[in-house]
Amino acid sequence: MIAFLSFAIVVLLFTVLVLTAKASEVATELKDGVRSYTNQSRINGYLLLGFLVLMFAGSAYAFKELMPVMIPKAASVHGEKTDYLFNMTMIIILVVAVLTQAALFYFAYRYNESRVNEAYFYAHNNTLEIVWTIIPTIVLTVLIVMGMYEWFTIFTRDRDKNMLVIEATGKQFNWMIRYSGKDGKFGERIIDTAHVTPTNELGINWNDPKSHDDFMSDKLYLVKGRPTLMKLGAQDVIHSFYLPHFRVKMDCVPGTPTEFYFTPTMTTEEMRQYLSTQPWWQTINPETGQPRWQTFKYELACAELCGKSHFGMEREVIVVTQNEYDEWLNKQTSLYDATIKPALAKDSTAVAPVAAGADSSKPGEKKPTAMLIKK
Amino acid sequence: MNTAHSVEHAGADTDHIHGHEEHHHEETFLTKYIFSQDHKMISKQFLITGMFWGVVGGLLSVLFRLQLGWPNETFPFLETFLGKWAEGGRISQEFYYALITMHGTILVFFVLTGGLSGTFANLLIPFQVGSRDMASPFINMLSYWFFLSAGVVMLFSFFIQTGPASGGWTAYPPLNGLRNTGVNLGSGLGFDMWALGMTLFIASSLMGALNYITTVLNLRTKGMTMMRLPLSVWALLFTAIVGVLSFPALLAGVVLLEFDRLLDTSFYLNNIIINGQLLGYKGGSPILFEHLFWFLGHPEVYIIILPAMGIVSEVLAVHSRKPIFGYKAMIISLMAILILSFIVWAHHMFVTGLNPNLGAIFTLFTLLIAIPSAIKVFNWIGTIWRGKIRLTAAALFAIGFVSMFISGGLTGIILGNSSIDIQLHDTMFVVAHFHIVMGIAAFFGMFAGVYHWFPRLYGRFMNETLGQIHFYITLIGSYCIFFPMHFMTGLPRRYYSYANFDTFNNFNNLAAFMSIVAIVVFLAQLLFLVNFFYSIFKGRKLEGEYANPWDSNTLEWTAPVERLHGNWPGDIPEVYRWPYDYSVNGKPFTPQNVPLKDGEAAH
Repeated sequence: MIAFLSFAIVVLLFTVLVLTAKASEVATELKDGVRSYTNQSRINGYLLLGFLVLMFAGSAYAFKELMPVMIPKAASVHGEKTDYLFNMTMIIILVVAVLTQAALFYFAYRYNESRVNEAYFYAHNNTLEIVWTIIPTIVLTVLIVMGMYEWFTIFTRDRDKNMLVIEATGKQFNWMIRYSGKDGKFGERIIDTAHVTPTNELGINWNDPKSHDDFMSDKLYLVKGRPTLMKLGAQDVIHSFYLPHFRVKMDCVPGTPTEFYFTPTMTTEEMRQYLSTQPWWQTINPETGQPRWQTFKYELACAELCGKSHFGMEREVIVVTQNEYDEWLNKQTSLYDATIKPALAKDSTAVAPVAAGADSSKPGEKKPTAMLIKK
Repeated sequence: MNTAHSVEHAGADTDHIHGHEEHHHEETFLTKYIFSQDHKMISKQFLITGMFWGVVGGLLSVLFRLQLGWPNETFPFLETFLGKWAEGGRISQEFYYALITMHGTILVFFVLTGGLSGTFANLLIPFQVGSRDMASPFINMLSYWFFLSAGVVMLFSFFIQTGPASGGWTAYPPLNGLRNTGVNLGSGLGFDMWALGMTLFIASSLMGALNYITTVLNLRTKGMTMMRLPLSVWALLFTAIVGVLSFPALLAGVVLLEFDRLLDTSFYLNNIIINGQLLGYKGGSPILFEHLFWFLGHPEVYIIILPAMGIVSEVLAVHSRKPIFGYKAMIISLMAILILSFIVWAHHMFVTGLNPNLGAIFTLFTLLIAIPSAIKVFNWIGTIWRGKIRLTAAALFAIGFVSMFISGGLTGIILGNSSIDIQLHDTMFVVAHFHIVMGIAAFFGMFAGVYHWFPRLYGRFMNETLGQIHFYITLIGSYCIFFPMHFMTGLPRRYYSYANFDTFNNFNNLAAFMSIVAIVVFLAQLLFLVNFFYSIFKGRKLEGEYANPWDSNTLEWTAPVERLHGNWPGDIPEVYRWPYDYSVNGKPFTPQNVPLKDGEAAH
């Protein structure tokens, strides 16, 4: 019924508009003569001027209302730099936008037919053309150089020997986050049908002792001030590893490894403290009943369309100090200890149980021990 | 030499057409309206088909805006119309992704490429270069029929059981590269139909573009040197060149993708693991497809915007009663955009893990595009400065185009900078940017063209009042939708709902506001359609047999109002001057076919 009513109202509105418009056309013809556009030019001149004012006022209002709601300041070393570049570029383009939009709409008003006797034949001016080619060129050169410098810093700087290496693998619709454990070294992964099974999706080679202390984590733990290398991959389709607060984004491509190297600068707690000073973050979140800053958390998201639940690949990210991290690390049980070892103990008949290689297994053959491994 | 060349052709052409005219009366209903080879009729066919697609594409966006604006509400009427795609009145995830995929495909290709280029290249090129028709009217007709059949295939994909393509209009593998794997979305028959539809579309586009290029280069009338072409023809010529050089790359990409899907090859696939099962694909790379796709995909945005630029240049000059400011600079900047458009594609791929050196090079070229773009904007503003602007609907839309192009173009300077793009890639900031700069702006150019050339097409005017109401709603509405969207910086695009994330869940009121405005703007476009079809039959008539309603200099207004296959009843007019002699020599305008006065220097 409501749908029908709104439909009827729209149709009615349309009819009224069309009839009024037709009437006004006829009226204009009678009053001004067929070929005259002077009157409507006058009206539209004022309307365009009004639009210019409205646009500036509306934009200012949007900045005031929406800036505080935006994703807060960067929590990584390179993120602070790219944010600076973003803000600087934004100020430049705002100045250009204000000047050009003002000129455009003001001229449209000032030189409309009703205010001018004759147009001024003015086909070109080479000096002017050169000036307004050179100025943007200089500004853009500065932006290009600054951008490139930052880009190369992010991707080609020397790596810290003490860096934390974490592996993240995307699949529909989840992240598998693997830590290298106490030895700081990942166990080898072999991508063939002998190693990759429904219970060992990553194809970890359990015969590699380095794999024995590796563990999986539901949450991404990072250490404040410690350079971190994310080693990224995907199982099925392209995903994109996205940490909005750290300005980190890198595609995870099946069959092609990628990586991203960055350094977090604020622990979760420090970010909360910072946000507690921001007015919008002090407001109460109706869903939790608490001030927004109290429940703030860093998050990991997928940024490349990967299927129907693309929007659900959320993982919490927690940034802690080195001490807190070590404490957390000590509490983790390795994947090997949790799954392979008990299975070995239980099933003594399983000799050389862990995927020994392609020669000892046929595709699709289930391995008794590997079956027990759960994410 | 150039002039001599076109003189020869014009002579030959005139002879040919005299023979042609004798057969004029033989046009039947079928050859006149359906299988027409007349560029004016084909232009109308493209325009009306494009409008149909515009409504479909817009309607899809209204549907997914319902989901984005009110993620927790249900709309029972949706279930009535969509059935299983909106069970319980809520659009399903699968259908949401189908909606955004088809919205992108339809708007980018079927409206703003086929609809825009097809309409105005067909209408303006033969008229404005002074030619009886396209170089090959038959291939021109085929171009339309391939366009239509591409659309039919796309439309039918909505009605198959597994639904239309839903892996994004960019069709990235492996999401779209694997068939029947059970877990992948949008990889069913719908995608194969998408691929078939795109293949037909590309064929249509190539046939059209080759015709446009040939016509501009070979069929110019006597005296019509290249430097006397209106900017609209220059822009359409460059558009066609970009299309011819880039569309084949997409075709290659799509064909190889279908090989992967149907013949189990591994062009784009390597080590795919689904539910712990390693599939047998080895050695390909999904990134290869991204390169092939964006080798078209980026020039494509210039295929969309260049015709709009040409139309706007023409409309602004005519309605300001002034020559376009910096005619040569406008051509050079168009040419610069054309060249640069081919070497910036990887800025869509900054975070695919490509070599950092490549990222730097593509940043350089991408930001360089801002220079010719800036020149064009300054020249448009220079054109209206000290003009005598007739603020008709056409002129308003042209001014709106410049405004949109400024707003959307400037944010491109942010996105094109690779280090900033790390954060912004695939977020709503990008969505805001490209909708303003190539979506809304191109629509504004198209509307400016339709309001301006409607009298040429149908011998009647569109209603000005309705046109101006249409303009203000669209202008204000578009800014209300897409300006605030820039503040959603960092919110990933193509999300069905932001409820899973604390980080992204703070813009729900804004999203609802944008959805309401989107519906209003959509209805305003229906107002345009009402105006269009009403005016075809009931609009104010042009007066006189050879009416020139806007006092324009270009050749299309030297032909009789009545549609005539062959355009001019007698000889083709000869051209003596450039098209921008407005408000000079004591005359408000001097058409191109008016000979130079004694002592007057050609421009």
